[in-house]
This record gives sequence, structure tokens and C-alpha cells, in this order.
Amino acid sequence: MSTIGSSLETAEAADNAAPAVAGTPRAAWRRRERWYGFLAIMPAFLVVVGFMMYPILYALYISFTKTDGVDFEWVGLGNYFNILADPLVHEVFVNNLKFLISVPLVIFFSIIVSVLLFEKIRGWKAFRFIFFLPNVLSIVVVGVMFKSIFGYYGAVNGVVAAFGGERIRFFTDGDLAIWVIVIALVWAGFGYQSLLILSGLTAIDPSVFEAAALDGAGWWRRLFSITLPNIRRELGFVFIINVLYTFSSLFGFVFVMTAGGPGYDTTTIDYLVYLKAFGSSNLGPGAALAVLLFLFIGILTVAQNRLFRVQEND
Amino acid sequence: MTSATLNRKSRIPIFIGLCILAASILYPVFFLAIAAFRPRLDYLRDPLGFPHEWTFANILAVWNGYGAGAAFLRSLLVVSTALVIVLVFAILAGYALAKFNPPFAKVITGSFVSVMLVPGQVLILPIYLMLSAVGLVGSYASVILLYVATSLPFAVFFLSLSFRSLGDELLDAARVDGAGFFRTLVQIVIPMAKPSIATLAVLQFLGMWNELLYALILLPDDSKRLLTPALSMIGEKLVNNQPLVSAGLLIAASVPLLLLSLTSKYVVEGISIGSSK
Repeated sequence: MSTIGSSLETAEAADNAAPAVAGTPRAAWRRRERWYGFLAIMPAFLVVVGFMMYPILYALYISFTKTDGVDFEWVGLGNYFNILADPLVHEVFVNNLKFLISVPLVIFFSIIVSVLLFEKIRGWKAFRFIFFLPNVLSIVVVGVMFKSIFGYYGAVNGVVAAFGGERIRFFTDGDLAIWVIVIALVWAGFGYQSLLILSGLTAIDPSVFEAAALDGAGWWRRLFSITLPNIRRELGFVFIINVLYTFSSLFGFVFVMTAGGPGYDTTTIDYLVYLKAFGSSNLGPGAALAVLLFLFIGILTVAQNRLFRVQEND
Repeated sequence: MTSATLNRKSRIPIFIGLCILAASILYPVFFLAIAAFRPRLDYLRDPLGFPHEWTFANILAVWNGYGAGAAFLRSLLVVSTALVIVLVFAILAGYALAKFNPPFAKVITGSFVSVMLVPGQVLILPIYLMLSAVGLVGSYASVILLYVATSLPFAVFFLSLSFRSLGDELLDAARVDGAGFFRTLVQIVIPMAKPSIATLAVLQFLGMWNELLYALILLPDDSKRLLTPALSMIGEKLVNNQPLVSAGLLIAASVPLLLLSLTSKYVVEGISIGSSK
């Protein structure tokens, strides 16, 4: 009976290639089981097809039309040309680029935390718990937290006032507001990502470190010539997910902290999709922007997979 | 580990460094947690200092007066319902994909994996049109359905990986004894895979509890508003009343923080596995 596991994998071949066995009750039973399995997948599959795959195709269709949601008029690539030529989209894209400043910051802090955690200092499990904490909080919670901390009567202005300074209105200046959101992003992100990097560190062969230490390499020397080169895969991964994040997941922060303002100074692409979809009478351009965003994310993801394969080979 | 090569003296700066970084995470949380229990005047007199008076009035005001309590209960109901459906569907599908080599398995797995990265912004417009065509916008069912659909690809993927690692011997023995698909699943597979199912349940619960976009758009009605949109409105309206905002934050964060402290071992490791795949 221990062969069932492997024979399941070849069951398809067996069903076709061995008519002599196909007539026996065992084979019929196994074929029936395969169809039970098929039926067991169906609830999940149908929900995903109906509420993820079909909507994606539907969004694609909407992006080629001029529509108010009821009547659809085919306009071909018109929406895409309009979106790509739209000065507002350019402005918003530049905002997204400004948010990229969070990427090196998050990575910098993640590396520090992971390298320190790696030393398995007393209480490192408690530290790990603390660094993981922001990750379970909603973006809304983090956003409102930082919005109030940087608010007119918030803690930061409390410090400013205590030193005799004038209270700062962080959210009436676009660049300052972006900095506040970036601080929230870094705060919420670096702990979790340091755990990702830590998992790469623990995979390094400890004997390499011991050999290097015997050869007289100090802690800093080991950090730069052994530790960091060995985790470039994890660093690459963290880099890409952070870039993806600044293009696809700022909606919550922007919605809660600035609503895209002042003006469009803190509006990001994913927030603009929401504005266009639910704030205008023609839904086509919003859908086209959403599709472009999706393509962009897809390309970055594929690039990330390529990057991994290359590095695994060398 | 490198710890073997580190002497006692050099461990002290590392410990201090970690303490500083940990404090940068904990301090804002503590600051807000304390502010939630201070009268407003006490807070304004000395925002950064330690409170002279403690009060539950903020929590009660936000819970009752600003509707956070009702929103909390609605979120609990919606998320729990969706979670049960996700787990049932994902366990069935994950088990079948891991152990039964069903027809079209490759196509099905491929389609689950390919939709895993779709951002909510792409789905929300067509979903809104579809659901409003059948009159479901504004119903709890619409959000539950969306939460189930968007959680399933990862859930199925995660569970099929962990079911695959279960030994075949027990399953085969059960089959020989005449146990069918469901009996094997309920009596053997689920008990054996309890840790990964628990991890998945916590991850999915957190994801849905913290979700904003679908909750915001599919339940626009005040009387049905879920917790995250309600909190964002409290943050908007009461931006200059730190104690009340903090109370709202504490209510919204209480469930995730409780879950994390109870299940940190599963969750911390589970998330690292989930995302590095």
C-alpha cells in the first residue's frame, strides 16, 4: 500500500496506458477519488473565477470603453492614450517616485535589525515579537496614529512647542506630508522585513563565520565580506516588494492621512484609480489606469522572479 | 551562529542598539495607549508627560457615541463568517490538490497563483458594477464574498503545501479501512495539520480585519459601516482630540494585538514562510 502516494502522481498515465487494470475495482475507485478531489476544489475555484478572474477581464473591457456603468461605448485604446497624456497622471506618478525614498530607509533599518537579531542576544525572541508588532496593525491604525502624532496638537508638535518653537502644520505642505507618510511606512515596514532578511542570515553556513573569525576577521569585516553578500537574494526580494508597495499599497495611508491633498500633492497612482473610479461619470479612464498599474506590478514581479533565478544559479 | 565568535563585551552595544530600535516601535504605541485613558485637559497640559488622572470616558465615548462599538461588532461578524467559509473551501481544495491529483490540477493551481498579486484597485470597479447590477452593494454578503474570494488563492496555496508534507501512510491506512474522502479529511488530515490551519486562520483574520478598500466602498451606509472605515472617519473628525482618537485606535488594534500575543509563535513564523514563497 505504500506505493499509493507515488502511484497517485502517475494515476493519470496509468488510467490511459493500462486498460488491463482499468477494469478492476481498484482503478475505478481511484479514478472516482480523483473526481471527488476535483469536486472538492470547485467551491474555491468557482469563487475565484467569479470574483477575481472575471472581474479582471471585465476591468479590461471597461478600460476600452466610455461608460457610466450602464451604457458602454467602445473607444479602443482611447482611454489609454488619454491616461498616458494626462498631466495629472504625470504629476501623480512623480509623487509615487518621491515615495520611493522610503525604500532605502526601510532596507537600511531592516538590515540593522536583522544583523543585530542574528547575534541571538539575550531576549531576542521578545525583540522579534516587538519588531513584528506593526505588521498586525491595519494601515488605517498606523495612518491615523501618525496623523495624530504629527497633528497640530500631537506629540511631535508637543515637543516643538516645549522647545519654544512654532507648531508645524505637517499636512498643509505636500513635501512635509509625504515625509510623514514615509515615516509611517518605514515604521510599519522595517520590523517585518528584517525578519525576512533574518531568515536569509540563518541559512548561511556558520562554519564560514568561524573560519573567518579564526583568520582574524573582525565583526565589521565579517559583516561586509560574508554576511551582506550572502543575503543579496533576500535584499533583492525586500527591495522589489518595497518598490511594489509604493506603487500599489499606499491607498490606505493616503486615504487616511491626507486624502491626497493638499491639492494632488500626496495623491498616488493607486489613490488616483480610486478617485477616477468613484469620482467621475466616465469609468473608462479609471479602469485603464488600474490596468496599467496592474501591468506595471506584473512586470516588476516577473523581473523579481528573473532576478532570483539568476542569483540562485551563481 | 556568529554568537560563538562574539565576546561578552561586544554584545552590550548590540543589545543597546536593539533596545533603541524596539523603543522606536513601542514608544508611539505606548504613547497612544496611555493617551486613550487621559482626560483631554490632562493631555493638553502635558502631552508627553505621565498622566495625573486616568479615565475610561474616552473609550466609552468612542465605543458608544461615535459608533466604534457597533462597527467593531459588525467587523467581528463579517470577518468571522468570511473566515469560516475561507477555511472550509481552502481545506477542501488544498487537500484535493495535495493528495488526489484531480483532473486539471495544473490549470487550477496556475489560476490561483496568477491572481494572487492582483491589487484591490483593479478589482474594485468591476466588482462594484457587478454587485450593484444584482443589488448586493450595501449588503454584508458583498463584503463577505469579496473577502472570501481575495483570501482563497493564498489560503489554498498555503494549505496544499502543508497538506503535501503530511505522510501518506496514515491516509493510505485510513483508505484501506474504508474511510472515504470526508472521513479521512475530518478525522486524520485536519487534526494532523492543525498548526498550519491555525496559522492560516490567524493570518487571514488579520488581513480581513485590517482591510479598508472593500469595506469602504461596498458598505457605504452609516448603519453598516465596518471598523476600519469607521476609524478613518473618527481620525478625520476628531483629529485634534488625541485622547478620543487614541481610544478609537486602541479599539481597532485590540483584536490584532490580542491575537498576536496569543499566537505569536505561529504567526511570526507563518508570515515569514508565506511571503518568501
